[in-house]
Order: sequence, then structure tokens, then C-alpha cells
Amino acid sequence: MKQPRRMERRVVITGIGLVTPVGTGREAVWRNLLAGRCGVAPVEAYDTGELSVHRGAEVKQFSAKDYLINTDAETVGRASQFAIAAARLALEDAGLAPDAVEPERVGVSMGTTSGEPLEIERFDDRLVNGELGEVGAEFMARYPCHNISANVAGEFGFGGLNILIPTACAAGNYAVAYGFDALRAGRASLVLAGGADPFSRITYTGFARLGAIAPELCQPFDRNRKGMIPGEGAGVVVLETLAGATRRGARIYAEVAGYGLSCDAHHMTAAHAEGDGAVRAMEEALRSSGTRAEDVSYVSAHGTGTPTNDRLETVAVKRLFKEAAYRLPMSSIKSMIGHTMGAASAIEAAVCALAIQQDCIPPTMNLTEPDPECDLDYVANEARGHEVNVAMNNAYAFGGNNSSLVLKKCEV
Amino acid sequence: MRRVVITGAGVVSPLGDSRAALHAALCGGRSAAKPLELFGDEKLGCTLACEITDFDAQKYLGGRNLRPLDRTARLVASAARLALEDSGFGVETLAREAVGLVLGTMFGSLRTISEFDRRALTAGPTYASPMDFANTVISAAAGQTAIMHGLRGVNSTVSTGASSGLQAIAYAADLIRAGSARALLAGGAEELCFESFYGFDRAGLLCPSNNSAPVKYPIPFDARRGGFLLGEGAALLMLEDASRARERGAHVLAEVKGVGSAFDPSRGKDDGKAVAAEARAARLALEDAQLQPASIDCLSASANGSLCADRREAYAIADVFASAARKLPVTAVKSMLGETLGAAGALQVVALTETMRDGVLPGIRGLEETDGDFPPVVASPQNRRVDVSFGLVNSNGFDGHSSSLVLARPSRR
Repeated sequence: MKQPRRMERRVVITGIGLVTPVGTGREAVWRNLLAGRCGVAPVEAYDTGELSVHRGAEVKQFSAKDYLINTDAETVGRASQFAIAAARLALEDAGLAPDAVEPERVGVSMGTTSGEPLEIERFDDRLVNGELGEVGAEFMARYPCHNISANVAGEFGFGGLNILIPTACAAGNYAVAYGFDALRAGRASLVLAGGADPFSRITYTGFARLGAIAPELCQPFDRNRKGMIPGEGAGVVVLETLAGATRRGARIYAEVAGYGLSCDAHHMTAAHAEGDGAVRAMEEALRSSGTRAEDVSYVSAHGTGTPTNDRLETVAVKRLFKEAAYRLPMSSIKSMIGHTMGAASAIEAAVCALAIQQDCIPPTMNLTEPDPECDLDYVANEARGHEVNVAMNNAYAFGGNNSSLVLKKCEV
Repeated sequence: MRRVVITGAGVVSPLGDSRAALHAALCGGRSAAKPLELFGDEKLGCTLACEITDFDAQKYLGGRNLRPLDRTARLVASAARLALEDSGFGVETLAREAVGLVLGTMFGSLRTISEFDRRALTAGPTYASPMDFANTVISAAAGQTAIMHGLRGVNSTVSTGASSGLQAIAYAADLIRAGSARALLAGGAEELCFESFYGFDRAGLLCPSNNSAPVKYPIPFDARRGGFLLGEGAALLMLEDASRARERGAHVLAEVKGVGSAFDPSRGKDDGKAVAAEARAARLALEDAQLQPASIDCLSASANGSLCADRREAYAIADVFASAARKLPVTAVKSMLGETLGAAGALQVVALTETMRDGVLPGIRGLEETDGDFPPVVASPQNRRVDVSFGLVNSNGFDGHSSSLVLARPSRR
């Protein structure tokens, strides 16, 4: 059968799998987000001793063996464990048995910030302690970040295109965008797309040294916000063509309509003062998805809770949406699950899809005192029923990278 | 559909810092292998590598402040400068137009990551530098390069092990075909550093340097091969929408005619599945290029001297090309450049554009007798004259990733 031409293929989300600090599985996570549950607690993964901050958003009570059926959990890193779990949950949510799809036409596209950092941390411990001789073949077999997407494909036997996109804190959006492009170009029939990151002492120490971690809470857009809270987790969505989803009678959460990527080319850790790159990414996302600014009904903010990010993100959204920005709900689930790094925008993309399907917006928690410089509608402290036809998912990263993804209600 | 052309290349390698110098070295049979200078450890079983001796980024980046850039970022920023010059992209163009960068790398700078961690371990976390932390993200080199050269377009990094560089070019080509970008620097980079070197050494993948080893150098497809040597470098190509390149009168080195990628979910544990994934990647690239295997005039192999990887690639070539394999000249530049991981596929593409230009396909250095254990590959230690309209580049990882790319000589008018 003749394949439809590239521009005619539409891409939809038909499955969601989540591993987060407020629960595992789509239903539990969504319920807890709407209830405003926060997953922030004292860090248990390692001793934060000498640092001045000690709280994080960790995934507790995660049992890899519940999800890793064909992979020995002992042989893969924690990011891969999260990723496989989220992928399995997403496939089940999509009502897809792994053998119901042609495995060579299934792609895997994953994002990450740090890959499998616990493996290099163990290497460093050995090096520092003069025990380097204990490093064996397992280091090279487990550490390189491409293992995340490879291990997901290995668990399910998927032989289609396989890519790991390590574009730091925006990686989830990049990975979904890559999957979207691959489906539109006809390079796959189905793509598992998402992101994963484990809690890491390198990441925690780094953000602490940047002075970016809040001592108690993540309070995006609040006048007294003190920073982000590092987290961990994974989010995976099942992407397939609308034609394929319709043919098998799949439940469709939302359509992936387009995206925009840009680079500030300005500073490694500081965003452009007028949000230039962020605006260009949003503009391109609107253009490529054929969306007018006034049709956007929800913005899922990058919203890390650092003083600068939230102010500049507000500036950028106002530049693009003008007066309408004040009527446009924008929230940050990082207030509840912390900043899950490479997983963050994948989890947020899944949450945008749920917001569209449920016509409901999760809140920005811990927003008690408004900041005069952050004067938009941040859906403070309470979930809100709201018709969500178009959602824009923003994510930004070190290196000045900006990404915006546009999801829509799927009208056949 | 939009066509994608290559209008320039930037190369930083142990065999030269231009496409012409690289090609000349490869055709001269020069090996980059020599005793390690960057680092050493008495526990290492392999003590040779293909280092860029005395790499000095100032040579390419002038008086700019290079302190924030680690070795990987310096390699990438230097290659980007050279690629921008080679393709005629000046500061004014970059100010007017958002040019992007798609970088393939296996590790980013593993040295930066490990040093940051070790400093926190030994001196205490309050001594770890925030600026160093920004460089621990795997995409740091792409970000630093964008800042240095004002690359405001798509900025992405891809990691698929040793096939990262070719995968990055494939990704960038698709972005241009889809109309998402008009001009992108694409390719790959990898630095040599102790941490990754030690990991490969412990995994037993490198050529042993002891005197009892039959060969200390990588000899792809040879019966005596015993492993690979690690190398380093960066190669970036300027990919452009063909109509845009034509409008600005750009010199076209080659056309990216088709790309294909596949994965072996057994991750190398099942020989048959590994061969099938490599063959699938090549078939997809040919299909994408709308070409039959017999149209391919030469092949740049991924083979690096590994026992298992070279055998699999030979089987995959036999599978895809069938009887046409008997007339297909194959080269393997890793015999001289070493395994440069994320840079490898991009360096192969650069070398092949030069072969297309002057019709000389470099030989495989040191090759005496191809291994009788797998289907014959038309390989030679000597350079060969080839008239290449279409060439295929293979790039395979160590544990499942495969990519192939069809390059076409620009049509003569």
C-alpha cells in the first residue's frame, strides 16, 4: 500500500507511562498532581552533609523487578530501570501488547541530562579510593547514556530507530519532537518517546554550587521562591500515526501538532535577558503546528522555581501572547515533583496530553505570595477545570537551549 | 521533497585539520597511532591511541576566551569554525539567519564529569566549580560552540554510541528535508580521556600493546585483527537545503541522498540479529535514496579491527549487496584514524567527499589477508581508483546501534 506523503501524516499520543516522585503510573500521578501532592523530602540517595541544602524529590518504593521482565535489573542503571518501567506502563496504557506491533518498525527516542551518572560516580569512588582495579567490563556496558534507549528497546525487542538525545533539562521535549518527525517521515510506525534521569550526587552538588536549590520547597512564580528542587523519574509516551491509532481503535489523548527549538547562543547557565530564544522557540512551535497564539489554552511552564527562570519565562510569554497572556493559564508541576531533569519535559508533555483529554489543569503549588514581576495566571494551589484545546509545553536547558511543543485535542 | 547538500566541512583530527589534509594522510597510508601522551596508568593493557598531539584550539578560535571550554568543546568549536569558513558562512550570515548544530557524541566530556565529581569527593562539595558543572551536561560542547559562533538555530546533541556522528547527520538531514531548518552544522566529536579509555581497556576491546600480541594496530577485516585503538577528533559538515545552497552559489561537496538507522535489540548477544540490524540500516538508506545496491560505487566501513564487529559488518555487506558485493570496493579508515567513537561516522563522510572529488579510495592500512571466517570483502591495503557517483557510509555502535548514509556526487552542470 502506498504510504501517505510526509505532511499528511498526523501524530497522536495513545499511551502514557510515568515514574515520578508523586507516584508511578498515569492514574496515580494525575490524581496526585490534581490533589497538589508534593514529593519533596530529605534526600536519601546520598549524604548531602556539607552542602547547605538537603531536600530533593526522589522516587520512593520503586521496584524495578515489577517492570523489567526480560532484563536483569542488576545489569542496568537506575535511569534505564525508570525508562523501561515508564515504557512498559505506556505500552500497557496504549493497550498494545509488545508483539502486536512489527518490532522493526518501533522506534525508541529518549532524552536525559546525565544518563547513568551512578555508574561514573561508582568509578570515581574507586578511583579516589585506589580501587580502580575493581572496575570491570560492566562500566562500559552500563555507563554510556545511549544505554537508556537501548535498554528500553532491548526489554521489548524493538529493532526500529533508536536514539538518545542528551540535551539536558529540555531533553524530554527534544525526544518527543524527534519521535514526531520520525513518524511524519515514515521512518517508524510507532515510537516510544520520553526521558529519564536518576537522582545523582553530581547533579545535586552542581545545582547546589550554582545556588539554584531551594532549602525547603519549590515555589514557582512566588515572590519568595528560592530555587528548584532536584528530582528523578521517567516519562514515556506512545506516539503513533493518527491513521494507525484509528485503525486499531486506540484511545487518543492528544495530537502532537508541532514544535520549535532554538538556541540563545548567549550563556551556558543564564537565559537571554529578554527571553529572545524562548520567544523564537514558541513562535516556531506555533508556526509549525499551524496554531494562532490566541488559540493556546494552557502553557505548561518550565517553571523551575529559580528567581531568574520564572521571571524571564513570564517576560517571554508576555512578549509572545501580549494582552492575552494575562488570561492564559500557565502552571508548573515542578512545584510538586521537583525538576526531574531530562525526564521533566517528557513528564510535562504527558501531563499536557492529560490536561487536554480531561479539560483540567494541574496547579502550581506553594504559590502563596504573588511576585509583581510574575503577574500571570499560574493556576495557584488548586487544580482547575478548564477547556484545554491546545497546550504548549516549554522546557529550557543549559547551553541556552529552548524547546516548545504544541499538543492539541485530536479532531478527526 | 527538499534535497540536502553538503557545502563545507570542518575537521580536527590526528591526521590533519582540513578535508584535504585528512584525505592526503589516509591516501598516504599514515597511521595516527602512537604511545599515549595525554594520560597513562600502569594498569592499562593498551598504551597506544590516535591522539591529536599538541591540540591547540587557539589556532582556530583566535584570541577568544577558551577557559570555559573543555577538550570536547574545543574540538567542536574548532571544527565548527573551520566548517563555517569552508562553507562561506560569515558573521553577517549568522546574525541574519539562525543556523543550527546537531552534534553526535558518545560521552560529551567524560573527563569534565568525572573531575567535577572527584573534586567534590576529595576537596569537599563546596570546592566544586559551578562553571565546571555546566560543562558536565553531555550537550555542553554544542552549547559552548553555539555561544562562541552565534548559532541560534536548533541546537541538539545525539548519543548512539560509536554511531553518534552519522546519526547526527541523518537527524540533521531529516530536519532540512522536513523544512524545519535550512542550514545546520552536523557531525560528531569525541575526546580521548583516561576515564573512557580505561573503561574500554577493562572491557578488553582494545588492541593489546604487549609484545606477544600478533598485531598492536587495528587492521579491519584482517585475519590477524585483535581489537581497535581509540582515537579522538571532531568533524562537522554544513548541511543545507539544496535550493538555498544554489541561490547563494555555494560550492557543493556532495548530496546526502538517503539515511537509514536500525537497532539490534539483542544488543550484540545474538549474531544473527546484529547482522540483520546492520543490513536493515543499509537497506533503509538505499531505499531512502531510491537506489539499488548495485548503484553503490564504494563503501566506507565502520570496521575498526574488532573480532566480532568486523565479521558482522562483512556478513551484513554480503546480505545487502549479494552478488554486487564482489565488485564493491570497501575501505575502513579506522585502520589509520582509530575508533573515534562519536566523531567516526562524520570523519568517514568527510573522507568520502574527498574520494568522490579525486577518485582515490584509501587502502586499509596493514591489511594482508581478509579473514576467511566471513564472506569476502573487496578490501585492499593499496589505494584504488574509483569513479564514485554514489557511496555508502556505515557506522555501527558496539551494542546495537547501526546507521548508514548514501552520499551522492554533486551533479555536473
